Amino acid sequence: MSDKVSDLAQDSSKSGRLASLIKKTAAEKVEPEDTVLVWPNLVYLELICSMVAVAIMLFLSLVSPAPLEELASADTTPNPTKAPWYFLGLQELLVYFDPWLAGMVLPTMIIVGLVLIPYVDPNPRGKGYYTFSERKFSMLGFGFGLALWWVLIVVGVFFRGLDWSWYWPWDDWHYHQPAGAVKLVDLEIILQNLLGLSESPLVTLGRYAITTANLITWVLFLAFYAVGFTVPFLFFRDFYRRLGFVRYNLVMVMFISMMGVPMKIFVRLLADVKYVLVTPWFKI
Amino acid sequence: MAPEDNKGKIEDEDVSRRRFFTLMGLGVGWGSLFTALGGVGVGTARYMLPSVLYEPPTVFKIGTPEEYGIGVDTKLKKERQIWVVRNERGLYVMIAICRHLGCTPNFFQDQSLFRCPCHGSIYDTRGNVLGGPAPRTLWRAAVSLDPVDGQIVVSFNTRQDPDPVGTPEGLMVEELSREVEPYFLKV
Amino acid sequence: MLNLLQKIRAIVNKTQVFKSIFRHGYPDTDGNRALVMFSNVILHLHPVRVRRGALKIKFTWCLGGLTFLFFILLAITGVVLMFYYVPDTRRAYNDIRDLGTVIYFGSLFRAVHRWSAHAMVFSVWMHMTRVFMTGSYKPPREFNWVVGVILLVTTLVLSWTGYLLPWDQLALWAVTVGSKMAEATPFIGAAGPFGPELGFTAENDMAFALLGGTVVGQSALLRFYVLHCLALPLLMALFIAVHFWRIRKDGFSGPL
Repeated sequence: MSDKVSDLAQDSSKSGRLASLIKKTAAEKVEPEDTVLVWPNLVYLELICSMVAVAIMLFLSLVSPAPLEELASADTTPNPTKAPWYFLGLQELLVYFDPWLAGMVLPTMIIVGLVLIPYVDPNPRGKGYYTFSERKFSMLGFGFGLALWWVLIVVGVFFRGLDWSWYWPWDDWHYHQPAGAVKLVDLEIILQNLLGLSESPLVTLGRYAITTANLITWVLFLAFYAVGFTVPFLFFRDFYRRLGFVRYNLVMVMFISMMGVPMKIFVRLLADVKYVLVTPWFKI
Repeated sequence: MAPEDNKGKIEDEDVSRRRFFTLMGLGVGWGSLFTALGGVGVGTARYMLPSVLYEPPTVFKIGTPEEYGIGVDTKLKKERQIWVVRNERGLYVMIAICRHLGCTPNFFQDQSLFRCPCHGSIYDTRGNVLGGPAPRTLWRAAVSLDPVDGQIVVSFNTRQDPDPVGTPEGLMVEELSREVEPYFLKV
Repeated sequence: MLNLLQKIRAIVNKTQVFKSIFRHGYPDTDGNRALVMFSNVILHLHPVRVRRGALKIKFTWCLGGLTFLFFILLAITGVVLMFYYVPDTRRAYNDIRDLGTVIYFGSLFRAVHRWSAHAMVFSVWMHMTRVFMTGSYKPPREFNWVVGVILLVTTLVLSWTGYLLPWDQLALWAVTVGSKMAEATPFIGAAGPFGPELGFTAENDMAFALLGGTVVGQSALLRFYVLHCLALPLLMALFIAVHFWRIRKDGFSGPL
C-alpha cells in the first residue's frame, strides 16, 4: 500500500521531480536512486525478449506449417466451417442473433464501448497499478465482457462440430447430430399460446401486423432497459452522482446491452426462444 | 459635431465592415474547402462501386421439366448452386444459398432436410426454416419455359422472398401462396 | 585477444565513417549511453532514463513491445511472400501451394507469417487487457487508449483480409460469411434492417463496395490484396507512430 501511495505522490509532483532531477544531474552528476539508464538496461531486456519471441515463432512454424485447404469452390461449404479462433466468438454469437445484430451492431457497440471507457471512468484511483478493491465496478464490468468473449471463443473452438451442432469432446465427431429435435419459437408465439391471446392484429402498419402478444414483447424489451436504467439511479445514488447524467447514460446503455447478450443466449438455451422481438424489418 | 467624433464613427463602420468581409471570406473559404472534400469523399465512395461486373451468368437453362422427378434434385448444386424440386402440383427452383450468412447447405435425403454447415440452420424441402439462426426462408428463383426448345430458364435476378410467419414449427410461408408465376411451373 | 579487440574498436570508433554514422563511441560511458538514445531514431522511442520498476516484466509483460515485434515480423515475411504471389483467382491457390512445396523456405516464411498473425492478435488483446487492469488509460492517456482500439480493429481487419489470399475453402467461406454480415448492415446493407427501404440492393450496398461485386470473386481478391498488403499496413504504421509518440510524451503510468 505504501508503495502505491508513493507512486501516486511521484506522479503528481512529476514536473517538480524532473526539474530537481535535471538540476541534480547537471550540478552533482549523481545518479538518482530509483532510475536506471535505458542503455544498456532496458534496450538489452527488449533485445532478449524479442529473441525469445522470434525463437518461439520459428519453433512453432517448424512444428506446424500453415495449412492449405482445397481450392475454393462456391458450391461446397466445408462442414463445419470455422473462422480463425479470434473470430469464433463472433461466429458463436451468430447462432443466437441475426447477422445485422451479431455481425454489425454488437461488434460496433463493443468498439464504441472500448473507445468510451477512458471517458466514462471518472475514478482517479487505480492508475498505474493493479488493484481490484479501488475500482470494483469497472473491473467487474470489463472482466464480464472479456470473460463472455473468451467463453464464446472456447465454445466455438472446442464444442462445435458438424453442422455447427454441439459436440462434447467424447462424442464421435464424424457423425451428424440429429436435427430438428428442438423447435425454436418466437417469444410472442409462446406468449400468445400461454395467455390465449388472439392471433389477429390490433393494427396493421404496412407490412407490420401488430398483435397483442407483439405489443407485450415490446413492453418486455423496453422494460428491460427501463429497469436497468432506473435501479442504479434509485438505489446506487453515489454511483450516479460520481458519473453524472451523460456518463451514466452512456455507461448504462453499454452495460445493459452487454447483459442482454447472455440473457438472450440463456432464453434461447432454456426456453428455445428464437426471437424475443419481431418486426418485419428487424428481429432480436 | 466634433471632428474627432466623426472620425471615430467612420473608423467604427470601417471596422465592422472589415469584420463582415473577414467573416464572409472565412465562411466562403472554409465552406468551399469542406464542400470540395465532401465531393471527393462522395466521388471516392462511388468509385469503389464498380459499374461493370465480370461474374458468372445469372440467367441460364437447366434442361426440360421431364428430366426432374418428384422430390429434391441436387445434381445442379455444384454447377449452378440450385436445387430443383418437384411436388404433385409442379416444379420450382431453390437457390442453394443459406439465408443466414450465405454458406451452401447440404441436402440429407434420409431426413428430407437441408442443413447448413456454418451455423446449423435447418430448412425443409419447401425452404421453410425449421431450426437454427436463419432469419428468412430459402430464395426461389424465377423460372420460365423457353418457347423454342422447351428448356427451363432460371433467373437469379428475380427471387421470391416473402415475409415468413413465426410458428411453433419454425418460420413458415403458406406453400400455395408461393406457387405462383414466375416462381412455379405447373408441369 | 580482448585487448586486441578493444584496440580495433578504438581505431574504428575514430574513423570518419563511424563518426558520421554514430556521432559517439560505443555506449559504455554514461554520457555515450545518453547520447545513443538521443541520436538514434529508433532508440529515441525510449527516454534516456527509466525508473527501476520499468525493468520489472510483471507489470507490462512486454505485451505492447511484443505486438510491435510481431508487426515487424509480419511486414518482413509479408514482403517476402509477395514476391511469389499473384492475386488472380486462377493463380493464387497454386502460388501458395508452390510456396509450401517447391520454393526454398517458402513454407517457413508462410508459417512465420501465419504464426505471427495469430500471436499479434493474441498479444494486442492481452496488451489491452493489461492496460485496462492497471488503469493506464486514465487521464492524460485517454486518447492513446482510443488509438489502441483503432490498432486492435486494424489488426483484426488485417487478419481477415489476409484470410482470403490463399484462395482455398477456408478463405472463400470466411470471407463469404464476413461479406454477408456487411450486407446485413442496418441502413446501408441490402439485407439489413431498413436497407431495402432506403433503396439498397445487392448491386450498390456496403458488401458490394467491399467485394467489388456480388460474389466473392476476382475483384474481391484484388481488393483484399490491396487492403492487406498496402492500405491497412500503412494505416497501421501511422497509428503505431501516434501511439508510441504519445507514450513518450505522456510517460508511463505505472512504476516505470
